[in-house]
Amino acid sequence: MTVNVLILCAAGMLVTALLMVGQKALFTAIRLYGAQSLLLAIVAATIAISEGRHELLVTAVLTVTLKAILIPWFLMRTVDRIGIHREIEPFLNVPASLLICLGLTVIGYRVSTGFQEGAEGVSHHLIGVALSILLIGLFLMVTRRKAITQILALLTVENAVFLVAVGVTSGMPLIVELGISFDVILAVLILGILVHRIVDRFESMDVSRLSNLKG
Amino acid sequence: MNVLVWTLVAPLVTAAIGGLPGPRRLKEATLVSGLAVTFLLCITTARQFLEARPPSAFADALRVDGLSALVLVLCGFVGLLSGTYGVGYLRRNEARGLVTPRLRREFYGLIPAYVFAMLLVSVSNNLGLLWIAVELTTLASVFLITFHDRDTSLEAAWKFLVLGSLGLAFALLGTVLMFAAGRGDLGEGMAALHWTRFMEVAPKLHPFTLRLGVVFALIGYGTKAGLAPMHTWKPDAYREAPSPAVVLMAVGMLNGALYCVLRVHLISKAALGPEFSSGLLLTLGLLSVVIATPFILIQWNLKRLLAYSSIEHVGIMAVGVGLGAEAGAFGALLHMTYHSLAKPVAFFSAGTLGQLHRSSDFDRIRGGTFSRAPIASSLFVLSAVIITGSPPFGLFFSEMTILKAGFFGSHVTATSVFLVALVVLFCGFAYQVGHLVLGSPREFTEDAPDPEKFDLGMATAVVAAVIAVVSAFYLPGPLIALIRAATEVVWGSL
Repeated sequence: MTVNVLILCAAGMLVTALLMVGQKALFTAIRLYGAQSLLLAIVAATIAISEGRHELLVTAVLTVTLKAILIPWFLMRTVDRIGIHREIEPFLNVPASLLICLGLTVIGYRVSTGFQEGAEGVSHHLIGVALSILLIGLFLMVTRRKAITQILALLTVENAVFLVAVGVTSGMPLIVELGISFDVILAVLILGILVHRIVDRFESMDVSRLSNLKG
Repeated sequence: MNVLVWTLVAPLVTAAIGGLPGPRRLKEATLVSGLAVTFLLCITTARQFLEARPPSAFADALRVDGLSALVLVLCGFVGLLSGTYGVGYLRRNEARGLVTPRLRREFYGLIPAYVFAMLLVSVSNNLGLLWIAVELTTLASVFLITFHDRDTSLEAAWKFLVLGSLGLAFALLGTVLMFAAGRGDLGEGMAALHWTRFMEVAPKLHPFTLRLGVVFALIGYGTKAGLAPMHTWKPDAYREAPSPAVVLMAVGMLNGALYCVLRVHLISKAALGPEFSSGLLLTLGLLSVVIATPFILIQWNLKRLLAYSSIEHVGIMAVGVGLGAEAGAFGALLHMTYHSLAKPVAFFSAGTLGQLHRSSDFDRIRGGTFSRAPIASSLFVLSAVIITGSPPFGLFFSEMTILKAGFFGSHVTATSVFLVALVVLFCGFAYQVGHLVLGSPREFTEDAPDPEKFDLGMATAVVAAVIAVVSAFYLPGPLIALIRAATEVVWGSL
């Protein structure tokens, strides 16, 4: 039962990441990120209950409040306020992007077999999925030009790192995790402020226009 | 509470006072005195370490060993210099009516906050805490980069934050994987992430997981240090940030990020043997030195020029450690010390020139600055001579030490490439500085540069120059002891 829930949620996270790649509407992409964070929280909670590691419950609660509710809400509000064209304009078209991400998933799974605990069982899936999402996040980072989508890509990478932390080590020490969560939310806030300023100044959040500095 | 905790509290209090509304005089006094106290506390901490009673706090999460003490003292020193220069810098901007109360609060709050985060980096014995501290330095510096509120400063801040956050995500993944590599052996709770704990159980760490973790952590922290090819944020950020903040980035942050790199390298060395991470460091370092050369030759902006010089220097330090010889490690730490003493002069004089001309672009400054701003120009030439590693100054000796370690060791080819790059860099720098300073004075038809005045900023630059020159001939005994202790940490833990 536990194993099934874990694998289902991990697979769900991978699906949300792939959907993000294929997604054109900014709002939907933010919601997908929220859903992905929720699934991450369920993974953490399931491990917490099945292995009796109660500090992981705190991680789960933090993940839900910060990453599934607060950050998506903040990002949506930012998009709303700047009232800008809401379509995502990738450098690469969707079918090609999806094909590349499929390849990245295979690479992620291949690397995960090298882990001591990654060769079999549920950890194999968790690490494989986490590494795949990490690679997909990096791919999103380089192919998207809207400021908000770059933040989303960054947050996706962050989610992948947390999935590794939960899947491989059953969580980092609690106080470290609190510090990391605090830093992440602060970073998102600052990024949001910068997006505001960029839109005010350039009347666009197309970061590919930020290219005056060279050499 | 022991002295270590006070060392961290002092800049934090300074930041709190500076960030609140209040009269300008009070803020100026608080900044300088707060950072002076911080520097004294750093020295006291290092002294306690040298007297063989190293301070630690919070169950060893904060701990001082040789490497920490050296980075701590250098950081405190640069913090004080930058704070004093910063007061003068902001006064000049106030005279031109550029400073709003909000900007003043940001400046006087963020500079000591940045110093705090860097000091926290240098005494963290816990890899989780280390990551948090490095992230804090990133966040503290974003609004310093957007300080001048130009189009280009937004661009620089965006690149800095996105690339920095990505680097930190990598570093976090690296930390998690390294933690995973020691499954079970590291124990439970906060202490499981202690660096000292990692060193104890190093032989038992799972090699594959650790190797992956080390690669991610080195790339992540290497991004913050500005090692090529993750260096692209550096020239932009250095050009846009006000000079006092750039000094903190170019010296304090560089040392702090290198400190993280070294900690990861040491774990890898203890667990996997010296070849793996040394090879990585050597490659990244060499790449940094080589990549910096063409950009110095074609450079169009004074502060970007210094940024590429800083990429070169972090590369030199990485090469020194990566050579895998005791002399190389000693050379790298000596280089770190001399670089920290010399770089502030370069940024202070370049910042002054930039402020007088209201731009740091060569188009605007080029040609005969000697006749317009004799003091700042001479200081800049002096600093250029020092940071390009000319004899008889300190950086020459540290570079020679590293070269010697390389030629007598097993990396002769790499060292030869390194030597050629250094020579080209020297020539490129001499060419750029000559163009800038010499030549017949230019006529400014409109928007003429301000005349040079001997104010607080200039006085700080002169003091920094005196320290940089004197350090070539005389380093205080305790400082040498610290460099030796740091070498022992970096080399002795095989």
